[in-house]
Amino acid sequence: MGTAPASRDVTSYGMGLAAPLALFFLFFFVAPLLQLLWLSLHNDTAALHWGLGQYLHFLTDPFSLSVLGSTLLLGAEVTAVCLVLGFPIAWLYQRVGPRLQTIIILIVLLPLLTSVVVRTFAWIVILGRQGIINATLQSLGIIDTPLKLLYTQFGVVIALAQVQMPLMTLPLITALGRIDPNLDDASCSLGAGSWRTFVRIVLPLSLPGVIAGCTLTYAAAITAFITQSLIGGGQMLFMPMYLYQQASTLQNWPFASAISIIFLLAVLVVVSVFTTLGRLSRGYGGA
Amino acid sequence: MIMNRRSLMTTALTLGAMKAFPGLSYAQARPLVFATFTGSWEEAHKAVLVPAFRKANADAAMVLDPMLSVDQIAKVNAAKANPPIDVMLHDPGPALVAIGQDLVEPYPVEKSAYYKDLISEAQEPMGPAPFFQVVGLTYNPEAIKTPPTSWADLWKPEFKGRVGITNLNSTLGTGWLVEIAKMRGGSEANVDPAFKAIEELKPNLAAVAANPGALATLFQQGQIDISPGNFNAIQILKARGVPVEFVAPKEGAIAFKTTIHIVKNSSNRELAFKLIEASLTPEVQTTLMNPPYLIVPTNSKVTMGGEIARVLAKDTTELKQKFVFQDWKKINEQRSAWIERFNREIKI
Repeated sequence: MGTAPASRDVTSYGMGLAAPLALFFLFFFVAPLLQLLWLSLHNDTAALHWGLGQYLHFLTDPFSLSVLGSTLLLGAEVTAVCLVLGFPIAWLYQRVGPRLQTIIILIVLLPLLTSVVVRTFAWIVILGRQGIINATLQSLGIIDTPLKLLYTQFGVVIALAQVQMPLMTLPLITALGRIDPNLDDASCSLGAGSWRTFVRIVLPLSLPGVIAGCTLTYAAAITAFITQSLIGGGQMLFMPMYLYQQASTLQNWPFASAISIIFLLAVLVVVSVFTTLGRLSRGYGGA
Repeated sequence: MIMNRRSLMTTALTLGAMKAFPGLSYAQARPLVFATFTGSWEEAHKAVLVPAFRKANADAAMVLDPMLSVDQIAKVNAAKANPPIDVMLHDPGPALVAIGQDLVEPYPVEKSAYYKDLISEAQEPMGPAPFFQVVGLTYNPEAIKTPPTSWADLWKPEFKGRVGITNLNSTLGTGWLVEIAKMRGGSEANVDPAFKAIEELKPNLAAVAANPGALATLFQQGQIDISPGNFNAIQILKARGVPVEFVAPKEGAIAFKTTIHIVKNSSNRELAFKLIEASLTPEVQTTLMNPPYLIVPTNSKVTMGGEIARVLAKDTTELKQKFVFQDWKKINEQRSAWIERFNREIKI
């Protein structure tokens, strides 16, 4: 290639290819985000007076902080449920024949093929007073009066866990697939029990998948406006609904913007904790 | 009135784009744009109002651009000099916001052929009310054999765990709170009695829905048997076979004016006026009063019929007696404080 400039590095082509998407993000993500930030730095709803009043209002108000806290907690609960339920499925996937693998992947992906609204309404039917759970328990004589499942924290966690499950299972399947099955056998033949093998071999090696799954599930669960409001109802307030209330009903855009920015930062902190754990786990997995 | 993340995002993006590229909204001749509400409103307007307008105005071009009140206000605000919407439709709360932000023109009352026929509550000089929304008691007749007659019935011990309400995000929720306050000696300026009353209602509360639409689902699922409800929404549910009935409580059914406005600086001012005129005609209002729409008319020349005459009012005189109108100017002053208080205090 005598005509090509000698200094040209083959890796530099990558940037050019990323340009369309980068430009798209610049116009349709970064620009609106900056505008959001600009709006949040105003003390009045007409956005005429600069100031940090909206942030002060949020950060000094115990109620607002409790909404933020309960939203972050909700995310943690959903992520934990997804991890505990999703890991065995992903593990199973790597150990069954191709036909069963197809069935498992279909079951995992199925929720993604229906709209979130439909899935959420299905949960209303399941959790309702005359829903499937209550009707079954009552006909078995286990309970006399219907349990209150809808419009409870428990209901929201269960519904969100099902709705977001694929986001956890898919990265786990990929991560577990990369582990050499011989390592299991080696561990066993060297005298480790199956629990020890799992804790010392499988879990550390699958950590990158666990971290990726947790990050995705967490981010999706705390921002899931539809499921939160339909299953949680009007008296359980999470950040997306709080934001909507301020922006839509009260027309208080600067405060709504400040809520968004604070929420965004809180999520970024959580995600970066996950990423740091991921980086540490790479060291651990390699050891 | 579910607003999802996507539509919120769209608004934000539109606002951003309008700021970044003012050229996007530069002047050009375009058809009349009427921002109606989504859902059954859009259906009704597409089927009745638009054909009536086009017939009366030599097939003038117009488009419906259904969106929430908040989106209408945001869009017009982003391009005040050359608004992308010519006619706006609002609930009482947002209407006052739009007027307060100087986004609408006074209605040319002296030119209007129908304005004077509207019942006095619908005659709003900044934009008349072509329709009323009516809120009363909704109940499941299969579970509740004796129809309720008063808002106070919600507190009856026999409805323990069977009552649904909505939070204050909606016009319905806020209007209901004010009505309860009035029943207990409060007013638009003082809703303390209503908050106390809701405190007492807690044993009966099965659900505090996030929006009136969610109440409908709760009726279908047997989660609740009685709640405040919107007359139109109940008729839609009834038509789909859900066992629900509507009654106007003896304290009076809450009536909200849905007002229609010419947007300030509209490039289609004349056609906008014509569209609003069409919405005020007895013909359009009569068609919209009949099934499947069942929208309460405001023109006193309309003869009440069907379900509306049976359940609400036989004529304008009875309508005025049975309907309660609220002072939304006063309500708007404190609404954000009430929403905050509701957020904090109402936990079941």
